[in-house]
Amino acid sequence: MKLTDHEQNGIVILEPRGKIMGGPDASLLHDKLYECIESDKKRIVIDLARVDWMNSTGLGILISSYTTLRNNEGELKLANVTEKIHSLLTITKLVTVFESFDSVDEAIGSFK
Amino acid sequence: MSACFFGVSNRMKKPIISGNTIKVPSDQVFLPDVDNFLESALREYGAGDSVIADIAISVSELVNNAMMHGNKASPDKMVSVTVSLNKNAATITVSDEGDGFLPETIDDPLADENLMKEVGRGIFIVRSLMDKVVIDATAKGTSVSVTKAI
Repeated sequence: MKLTDHEQNGIVILEPRGKIMGGPDASLLHDKLYECIESDKKRIVIDLARVDWMNSTGLGILISSYTTLRNNEGELKLANVTEKIHSLLTITKLVTVFESFDSVDEAIGSFK
Repeated sequence: MSACFFGVSNRMKKPIISGNTIKVPSDQVFLPDVDNFLESALREYGAGDSVIADIAISVSELVNNAMMHGNKASPDKMVSVTVSLNKNAATITVSDEGDGFLPETIDDPLADENLMKEVGRGIFIVRSLMDKVVIDATAKGTSVSVTKAI
């Protein structure tokens, strides 16, 4: 997995690419999210457009980030959730937890 | 002297590929090696992207379990992954060298009290994505075989 990030309107957009399957690659996303939280950047969008798939390790990172942000008055939103990841969120019932949007712009616009 | 020797030995461990089987040390750094091996075999057989992803997700869960729970991340213990392709289906067997890990003992990940837990969904996802899952846990290790129509 590779990870790039940028800021727009004070919101951090993270763009992982490839497969999130555990090990050092998954740590990249986890560490970046926590780096944002520690830097007081607590409005985050994860753009999943270029993620081929993720497993339960990836879901665990999303949950951990969501919970940590919520506990620190922040918010995590998902954009461009692919069919494969949406299917995974559905079978695990996590689709009821995460707010997801069809585009990064829509996700950014949803922040109050 | 001997500690140094064994340290070097562990770091030098690499995936071993023999026919339709790949063996990797119990270190998650080797997950992409297993994924590449698996995807290559399935793609060569003509499987579609969606089926390949379902199988790859499931096998990554099983290999993670085998490394971390079965072999308890011991670099001296290997995880083997064997791909068997027949007429209409792929069967993949993941085996560890642990003490017999039983995934059924894990809590229901869909229960309200477990929904926000960061771990504990692996085998549930495998059962959801695969057509058949057979677990054989013995004192010499656990083997999990998954089958998916392709």
